[in-house]
Amino acid sequence: MKRVGKPVFFIVALLILVFTYTSLFGVHGQNGDNTITYIKGASDIRWGIDINGGVEATFSPDTEGVKATEDQLNSAKAIIELRMVNQNITDYELYVDYNQDHIIVRFPWKNDETTFDPEAAIEELSATAMLTFREGNEYATQETDADGNPVYKTPTGTTADTVILEGSDVKKAEAQMIQDPTTGATEYEVGLELSDEGAQKFAEATERLQGQIISIWMDDVMISYPTVNAVISDGKCSITGGFTAAEASDLANKINAGALPFKLVTTNFSTVSPTLGASALNAMEIAGIIGFILVCLIMLIVYRLPGFVAIIALLGQIGLCFAAVSGYFPFLNSFTMTLPGIAGIILSIGMGVDANVITATRIKEEVNSGKTLDGAIQKGNANSFWAIFDGNITTIMVALILMMVFGPTNILSWIFGPLRRVLSIPLVTRCWLATSATSSWASVLPA
Amino acid sequence: MRTFHIKFCEKKKIFFGISLAILVIGVICNIFLGTKLDIQFTGGAVIRYSYNGTIQQEDVEQIVKDASGKDVSVRIHEDMSTVNDPTQANNSVSISFAGTDSISLDQQQSIATALDEKYPDANFEVVESNSVNPTMGQSFLLKCAIAVLIAFVLLLIYVGFRFRKIGGVTAGLMSIVALLHDVLIVYFVFVAFQMPINDSFMAVVLTILGYSLNNTIIIYDRIRENRRLMGPKTSYADLVDTSINQTLTRSIYTSLTTFVAIAAVFVVGSIYGLTSVTTFALPMMVGIVAGCYSSVCIAGPLYVAWEERKEKKSAPAASVENN
Repeated sequence: MKRVGKPVFFIVALLILVFTYTSLFGVHGQNGDNTITYIKGASDIRWGIDINGGVEATFSPDTEGVKATEDQLNSAKAIIELRMVNQNITDYELYVDYNQDHIIVRFPWKNDETTFDPEAAIEELSATAMLTFREGNEYATQETDADGNPVYKTPTGTTADTVILEGSDVKKAEAQMIQDPTTGATEYEVGLELSDEGAQKFAEATERLQGQIISIWMDDVMISYPTVNAVISDGKCSITGGFTAAEASDLANKINAGALPFKLVTTNFSTVSPTLGASALNAMEIAGIIGFILVCLIMLIVYRLPGFVAIIALLGQIGLCFAAVSGYFPFLNSFTMTLPGIAGIILSIGMGVDANVITATRIKEEVNSGKTLDGAIQKGNANSFWAIFDGNITTIMVALILMMVFGPTNILSWIFGPLRRVLSIPLVTRCWLATSATSSWASVLPA
Repeated sequence: MRTFHIKFCEKKKIFFGISLAILVIGVICNIFLGTKLDIQFTGGAVIRYSYNGTIQQEDVEQIVKDASGKDVSVRIHEDMSTVNDPTQANNSVSISFAGTDSISLDQQQSIATALDEKYPDANFEVVESNSVNPTMGQSFLLKCAIAVLIAFVLLLIYVGFRFRKIGGVTAGLMSIVALLHDVLIVYFVFVAFQMPINDSFMAVVLTILGYSLNNTIIIYDRIRENRRLMGPKTSYADLVDTSINQTLTRSIYTSLTTFVAIAAVFVVGSIYGLTSVTTFALPMMVGIVAGCYSSVCIAGPLYVAWEERKEKKSAPAASVENN
C-alpha cells in the first residue's frame, strides 16, 4: 500500500472538523435585524412534542364499522388542515394512515400562548364540518396564512344572513380537467353535484343572483367565492377560475368534507406541557457531552494516536447525525427530533468507535506478530473490513425492518425515525471513515 | 498486547449455568410481580395535572369519579425539594382510569371543570395526558411483535448466507438463541423494575438485537477467517476459543464505550428525574452487558456444542460406509 502523505491526514481531519462545526452550529448571517440561516445547525432542529410540549391526537372517521374510502380520508385531512390554519397553528404534522383509517395530528404548543386549551383545540379540529353557500362575500376579518395567502373569516351582513345551501345539499364535489374548445388549453375546475332539494334552492338563487357572488364557507372560513355566470337548474355546475390541479382537488376535498355525513372520532389523545420537556433537552445535552468526553478518554488512554484519529472520525459521525435530522443537506428534509432520538445519538457515540476499535486492535496484533508498521496497517485494515461490513449490514437491516413494518406514518416511526436515521447513516459512513482515517494515521507517526 | 487464553468451550457449562440462573430468576420475578403493559398497548387513559397548595387524594378521587363515571386511582406527587417554600412547589397529581377504554374529550373537560370548582385556588393545569383506544393499542403491539419476528428471520437468512462456509444455518440459529437470551434479559429488567412495557421497550429490544448481533458477527467473522488459516483439521473448540479470545479486547472495549455513553444518559436523566429517558437507558445498559456476554460466552460455545454433536452423530454412520 502506498503510504498516504501527512498533508492528507490533516486535510481530512480539517474537513471533518469544519463539517462537524457547521452541522452543530449552522452558518448564520446577519441582514439588518434578520438572521439568515445559510446552513441549518442543531438549533434549527425541529423538536418533538416530548421536548417542546404539544398535542398529539389520532382521529378516525366514524363510519359505523365500514372502512372509510380514500376520498373520505382525504376530505377529513383537508378539513383538519383548514382548521389548523384557522386556529393559527402552522407548525403541525399531519399523517393519514389509509389502511387503519387513522389521521394523526401533532402540533407543538405555541410559544406565546399561556392559556392554550388543548382539549378545546382538538375538539374544534374534529367537529363535524359546517359547509355553507352564502350570498355575497362580505367578511369581518382578514388574516394571512403561513404561505402568505389571505384568509377571510367570519361572514357579515347579507352573507351572514342568507344561507343558500348547506353541506347536506351537496352530493359530491370533484376536481375535473377540461379543455378550452377555442384555445385548446387545459384547465382545472371543480364539478359540483347537488341533491334534488339543493338543485331547487340553487336554481332559485342563481336566477336571483346572476352576475353576483356566491361564496362557499367551511365553518368560519371562506374557501371560494365564484361569480354566478348562468342559472343552474339541473343541480350540476362547476367552479372555474384558473385553478391548478392541486388547488382544484383541494377545494373539492373541502367541499366533500362538508357534504360527507361522518364525524371524526378522537381515538387517541395526548398532551405534554412545555415545562416538562424544557429541562429534558438541557439534561440530554449534558449527558451527550459527558458521554462524548468519557468515550474520548477511553480511546485516548487505550489506543493513544489511533484513538485520537478515532475521535476525529467520531466527531464527523456526530456531525452527520445532526446534519441528517436538521436539514443541513438541502436534499434531506429536516426531521422532528424526540428524546429517544437524542438518546440514540448518544448511544451511537459509544457504538461509533467500534470500527476504529476493531481496526486498531487488528493493527496492534499485526505489529505484535512482528510486521512493519506499514504492513500491519495494510493487513489490519484488510482483515477488519469484512467484520465491519457484516456487522453493519445487519444493523441496517434492523433499521429497515422498523421502517417497513411501521411505515412512515405510524406513531412509532415518529419515535424511531430519528433513532433509525441516527443509527443507520453513521453505520454506512463508519466503514469508510474508519478505513480512511486509519490508513492516514500512519502518516502522522514518526517514520 | 495482552492476549487472552480463556477456554470458553470447556467452561461452557458455567456460562450456560449463569445465563439459565438469571433467566430462572427472571421468570420467578415475572410470576410474582407480573407484567405491566403500558396503556399504549392495552388502551386506557392517564392524566397528570400540576397544582398549587394542598389537595386531598380521596376528594380528588371522588370528584373525578363523579365527573367521568369511571373508577380511578389517584396518586399525588409532592415536590420535596421545595418543601420550605410551598408557593414554589412543583406538585402534580396523576389520575389513572380503570379499564382499557380511552376517555373522551368531553369527559376530560368536565373533570377539569369539576376540579377547578372544588379547588379554585389550586390552579390545575394538564402536564401530561394520554388516552389510547384499546383496538389501536392492540394493533400497535401486534406490529411490534411482527417487527421483532421479521428481524429474527432476516438476520438468520443473512448470517446463514454470509457464514455458509462455517455452517451458516447453525451459526445463525445459535446467534438467534443468544439474541433471545438478550431480549429476555431486557424484558426481565422491565419486570424487575416494575416498568410498564411500552415503546421504550421496543426501542431497546430492537437496538439490542442489532447491537448484540453485531458482536456475534465479529466473532463469527474471526471463526470464518481462522477456519481458513488453521485448516479443517482443527477442532471446533480450539477454533472458536482462539477466535473469541482474539476478539475479546474489541468486544470489551466497544461494549465499554457504548455502556459509558448510555450510562451518562442514565445518570443525568435520573438527576433531572426524566422517566422517559431513564426507562430507556437503564434496560439499554443491562442489554449491552447481556449482549456482550451472550456473544462471547453463549453464541460461540453453543455453536461448538452443536457442531460436535453433529460430528459424533455422523461419525458412526461414516465408519459404516467405509466398511
